[in-house]
Amino acid sequence: MKSIEKAQKVYDAVKIPTKLNYMVEKTILESQKERKTIYKPNYIKFVASAIACSFIFFVFMININPTFAASIAEIPILKDVAKIFTIKEFKEEDNTKLINAKIPALENTGNTDLEKRVNYEIMLKINEVLEEAEQRAEEYKKALIETGGKEEDYHPINIQIDYKGGYSSEKTVSFMIMKSETLASAYTEMYFYNIDIETGKNLNLRDVLGSDYKEIVDEAIYEEIEERSKNPENIYFKKGEGGFEGIENEYQKFYINSEGKVVIVFEKYEIAPGYMGIQEFIIN
Amino acid sequence: MQDAKEILIDYIKTNQDKLYRVAYSYSKNEESALDILQESIEKALKNISKLRKVEYVKTWFYRILINESLQYTKKNKRIITCQLEEIEKNIEWNEEIKTEDIEIYKHIQSLNDKLKTVIILRFFEDMKIEEIAKATKTNVSTVKSRLYKGLSELKKLINN
Repeated sequence: MKSIEKAQKVYDAVKIPTKLNYMVEKTILESQKERKTIYKPNYIKFVASAIACSFIFFVFMININPTFAASIAEIPILKDVAKIFTIKEFKEEDNTKLINAKIPALENTGNTDLEKRVNYEIMLKINEVLEEAEQRAEEYKKALIETGGKEEDYHPINIQIDYKGGYSSEKTVSFMIMKSETLASAYTEMYFYNIDIETGKNLNLRDVLGSDYKEIVDEAIYEEIEERSKNPENIYFKKGEGGFEGIENEYQKFYINSEGKVVIVFEKYEIAPGYMGIQEFIIN
Repeated sequence: MQDAKEILIDYIKTNQDKLYRVAYSYSKNEESALDILQESIEKALKNISKLRKVEYVKTWFYRILINESLQYTKKNKRIITCQLEEIEKNIEWNEEIKTEDIEIYKHIQSLNDKLKTVIILRFFEDMKIEEIAKATKTNVSTVKSRLYKGLSELKKLINN
């Protein structure tokens, strides 16, 4: 059938989205993680009971001891602004990989349970990310050798983990963790943390900008894209061709910068060609 | 069953482009095709214990993928007919592709789901009749008759 062959040319030419590989890897990893997370509920329960415990203790102390109550007000730490700082910096090098990591942690939020929980989550996330990256490096090396490549042709994969401290106040703390690998640029991943210190809740755009968050953000981004597009070197995908068409919901990725402004982030390829890199938009 | 799972993961990773194209031929939309495939991968990994023989990994996965795709098309009929026009935008153009080729491709897309499925699997995915029967949970003679019917409908569409 000649016409079938003709149609097949079209079928085979269907564009493969760059996100595909990322999605497949992620879905497979997530499904394997399910088994590991058995430990998690216990941990949360532990934190919850720890919070409850300290709360009871606190109330109790204030009730029975007026001098204690007075002394808390004077403890400077409680007034100090939350900070993000590097807890651990490490380098690891062997034949397959080269790791450069800066691991952030919270301190001085005045809510130590929250700090413990967030810091623990960061550690878990980074361990997981590193494990994945190491595994990928091993697989890549193995594949290279199995397909006739020489060990000396293999260049160790460079894995970088760093963070960007966005913003912190008595109420909120915001930062992001970035991981990049030289194996494939598609493997640059970002994790965002926007936390309400009092409640420990993860903040979304609705929490920060109010119920009109979508109008505010969409308008600012459309304007900025138009502005940036005046420079012919800046190309964005068009509407209907994978370009920006408004944020989907309040869980859009963002962080809060040092001036306290919301910065919306789009990953590479998300709304513009790869060479444009990660796209950030400051919302005034 | 560790081995079966590894084989499945390996199969998915090496064939991800192909699997995406199958999903895309039902959804005709990039995001939805990614969703369909993601859903299928999750289901397959969760139900790996139901895969009786690892040799059937391909047909078994296709069955899940096609089920997911059909479910999607049922839910989103109206949206999909609009997006048929979008096809041209989602193609990596090269000199060999002519406008008439796209027309034929669109005709295949417009066939009903059962007929379209056998044509895609038989010709584009190069599967054997027996494999298609397994993947669609039917038998060889049903596949043959759908294939025949699909091709004759396609001929009619092209000649009109």
